Amino acid sequence: MSEKRIKDWFLSQSLDHPKRTTIITLLISILMGSGLQFFKIEDDMMKMIPENIETRRVWEEVKDEFGNTEMIFVAFGERGTSAYNREAMAELWDFTEVVEASPLIEEVISLSNMNRMESVDDFLEVDDLVPSRDLDSGEIVSIKNYLDGNPDIRKRVLGKHGDFFNIVVKPKEESNDQAVVKLLHDYADTHLKEYEVHFGGPPYLTGLVGDLIRVDMVVLIRIGLLGMVLILLWSLRSFVGVGMVVAVIVLSLGSMMGAMGWIYNFTKSDNFVFTIMNTSMPIILLTIANSDGVHFLTKFFKKIRQTKDKRKAIEMSMHSLMLPIFLTSITTSAAFLSLLFAPIEVMAGYGYTIAIGIMWAWILSTTLLPSLIMLTNWKMDSKAISQPGLLERVVDKIGKKILKAPRLILTTGLIVVLIGAYGLSSLNVEVNIKSFFSQDHAIPKSLTFLDEEMVGSMDYTFRIEGDLKDPKTLKKMVRLQEYMEEHPKISISISIADIIKKMHRTIMDDDPAFETIPDERDKVNNLFTMYAMSGDPDDFSTLVNYDYTVGLVTVISKNMSTQAAKIYVGEVKKFIEQEINGEMEITTTGMLPVLGNMVDMVISSSFRSIFASIIVVSLIAGFFFRRIGWGLLAVIPLSSAVILNFGFMGLFNIDLNHVTAVLSSVIIGVGVDFAIHYISQYRRSVKTVKDSDILSREVIDEVGYPIVLDALSNMAFGSLLFSQFLPVQHMGGLMVFAMISTSVGTLTILASIMELLRRNKKIYNRLIRGN
Amino acid sequence: MKKIILVGFLSSFGFGQSGFEIAKMVDEKPSPKDMSNTTRMVLTNAKGKSRTNVMVSKYIDGNKKQIIWFLEPKDDKGVAFLKIEHDDKDDEMRMWLPAFKKIRRISSKKKGDSFMGSDLSYEDLSNRDLDKSVYTRLDDETINGVDCFVLEITPKKEAKSSYSKHTSWIDKNSLMAVKEESYDKSGALKKKKEFSYREMKGYFVMKRVFVEDVQKNRTTEVAFEDVKVDTGIKENLFQEKNLKRLPRN
Repeated sequence: MSEKRIKDWFLSQSLDHPKRTTIITLLISILMGSGLQFFKIEDDMMKMIPENIETRRVWEEVKDEFGNTEMIFVAFGERGTSAYNREAMAELWDFTEVVEASPLIEEVISLSNMNRMESVDDFLEVDDLVPSRDLDSGEIVSIKNYLDGNPDIRKRVLGKHGDFFNIVVKPKEESNDQAVVKLLHDYADTHLKEYEVHFGGPPYLTGLVGDLIRVDMVVLIRIGLLGMVLILLWSLRSFVGVGMVVAVIVLSLGSMMGAMGWIYNFTKSDNFVFTIMNTSMPIILLTIANSDGVHFLTKFFKKIRQTKDKRKAIEMSMHSLMLPIFLTSITTSAAFLSLLFAPIEVMAGYGYTIAIGIMWAWILSTTLLPSLIMLTNWKMDSKAISQPGLLERVVDKIGKKILKAPRLILTTGLIVVLIGAYGLSSLNVEVNIKSFFSQDHAIPKSLTFLDEEMVGSMDYTFRIEGDLKDPKTLKKMVRLQEYMEEHPKISISISIADIIKKMHRTIMDDDPAFETIPDERDKVNNLFTMYAMSGDPDDFSTLVNYDYTVGLVTVISKNMSTQAAKIYVGEVKKFIEQEINGEMEITTTGMLPVLGNMVDMVISSSFRSIFASIIVVSLIAGFFFRRIGWGLLAVIPLSSAVILNFGFMGLFNIDLNHVTAVLSSVIIGVGVDFAIHYISQYRRSVKTVKDSDILSREVIDEVGYPIVLDALSNMAFGSLLFSQFLPVQHMGGLMVFAMISTSVGTLTILASIMELLRRNKKIYNRLIRGN
Repeated sequence: MKKIILVGFLSSFGFGQSGFEIAKMVDEKPSPKDMSNTTRMVLTNAKGKSRTNVMVSKYIDGNKKQIIWFLEPKDDKGVAFLKIEHDDKDDEMRMWLPAFKKIRRISSKKKGDSFMGSDLSYEDLSNRDLDKSVYTRLDDETINGVDCFVLEITPKKEAKSSYSKHTSWIDKNSLMAVKEESYDKSGALKKKKEFSYREMKGYFVMKRVFVEDVQKNRTTEVAFEDVKVDTGIKENLFQEKNLKRLPRN
């Protein structure tokens, strides 16, 4: 089908059947939006790791063999008051009983339900450490004495100063983390009002952040819409016009979010779960959808001012903007789809979803919007139609200045880009969720408390495959644990080897010299059998599998920065290769390796998406403008903006993470619109304007105002500054900066290059005209 | 034989009996003076993986004294276990650990603890004290063609049970439980048990027990082979020194 026939078809839908078109587009939007019922919000960093990476693969294996190993850490107590008191112990007992009875919870590990293993008068006694809820003073002293004699156990259940209880809550694998967080918060709010309570651990953060994302998303959409409406009202000066643009925005937004829900429902892919990273998505779509509408409405006002004929003005606007708006939508979608090349797979979901939203916004802008314009009675004497606005006049003046000094403008632009490039070397990757909040937020405060007073809240799990009854294997596990615990950030490590050591000591009359792994396999066997006769075999179920062929070493660490985690994980890997691996195979998972993995993945995701989007966008632009030179010109302002963006991130210590890594695609995807509008108009004008001095002037005259208006309405990205997540705030600031730099870049650098090229006829003809 | 006929006669007139009266009949039914068998216990976990233990067991006084020698798995061969139940104090349990050449006493305070990693707890294996539970008779039922009394058994506080209640199906003829469901402290179903018997020397002797822990999705099947009753097992067999020697037969 030829370009003209497509344009005619679209025109006919709006001009000849505006009511039908309006109803159909509304119905389709409602259908897409109905997917919101399946919309899922969750931010689980582990699910960002591809399934073929060891950390994720081992995580799945461990879950399959040992159930959920992810832990929530709860600490409660009264600063300065010993936890060894009747009331606090009763509260701990109740907490343990009530929370463990919940269908959401697999296990609660606290002082209340721990076993004591002792050698008493020749007895191996495995019994409850805390015999009942209401303890007498003698029982409390006995518990204290036992813990004092077993400092490793004490460290697991009590804080450094003995005033806080440390409780580990393991949710069931199928439990919704948000529901688990609600259960814990509700309990704490109702029963632990007298105490200071802190929470941490990956499932807790996942559950809590899910709620924060929901709140954040609603707030940001409201602020974004409000800001956009005010900008549009100021620039368009038409309530009806603004209402139409807002309708396109809201319908696009609802459809995109609904589409995400539908895709998640059909695929169950974690890539289509709404995470912190996606928090920026509604605002980005809102801005892009607005851009399409603004361009169309501005052109319509200009044309109706000239022709005084609504139908003709729509026709002229459609003819003029159909290709550029389509092209900007295609290139923007392509830039977002370049996220498919990112190793962080959830970025692909981001790319797919927003591409759907953008293409639907394009359809609405070329069908619904002209139909609504057609159905509206426009007053020719209204300010919007009869007079150019203040902004239009300012742009007119800037345009004249640019054309007078192209070399100066270009040199200034290049210097700014070079300064930005210098900052690239200082770019730092940080994906630790603690860094996503300001220091006075409850989350980093609690995590700091857990680090300083308790054992921390980050896990590092080693899956050990071998003969777990073989003393050699057990001794290597001990060696690994000793090595791990040498690191100042590591608080505790737990494995079946600890139990064997403890049992060995107990059976050898509690002689500390025997707190070792026995040398003979038969002895290890006897110890396991003895425990089976006196304790619950489920006590081992999180440490060793049924066949004694796979065991876990779980290490708990205090918070580490992403870089520190990467270095530490590398050191541990080296240690394992040199000293441990042999008869047994060790693989790892947990939050520390996740952080380590994320460093390379974030950097790789950023750069792959930059290069992929630049190549794809220039190819698409080159294809539609029928010369690759145009394609290259279209991405020049963008490349400068991307360098500036990441350079300034380095200069201003803004961390690169999975949230800010999508910035490059956003900048290229949204920023390319300016260049495409400029080039489209240039190509149209070049056919009618023969005087080369007038040509550039006319281009700026035609598209300068819509570009500035577009960039101005893109300031809605600034609403991301109101997010409670620091990376999203950073994105907001950087996007505002990027929109200024790309729009100014288009109107200065691109216009200057065009002006300079035009003066060099040879290159100009070869690159641009194709002569 | 007379006793069995008598019990059968009584049970046919069991319409007006209370739960306690039925429980008393069960408690007072004749049992062997001593018994020995080879026990094969197959534990299957939630993932369908199985582990088999084979042991030789000898009992007297209706299981109040029990000695077990482990034969399989190979890792456990030589380990032995002695249990002596007391009415007025905690039970005595001793283990022979051949690798350490030591006998160790082990605690039995937690009645709900599992026996040998199985789905049977020490409480499941111990005799229930008649006076420490409340018995409610429910409507009779037929299980696999067997007419059964159905009793709801609620342990009293002094029983220190790990269960809140049991529902027991008791064969009216043999007065042996053929099925039982046990509920945890929160009232949720915890275990389902099935029992089958063989008749020997006028006694109904356990042939097979199948236990399913419905909460943990695990099962334990215990089969009793080479069963011998009233062979005159001496009381002095149940001493520490005998743990160290595997029986000749």
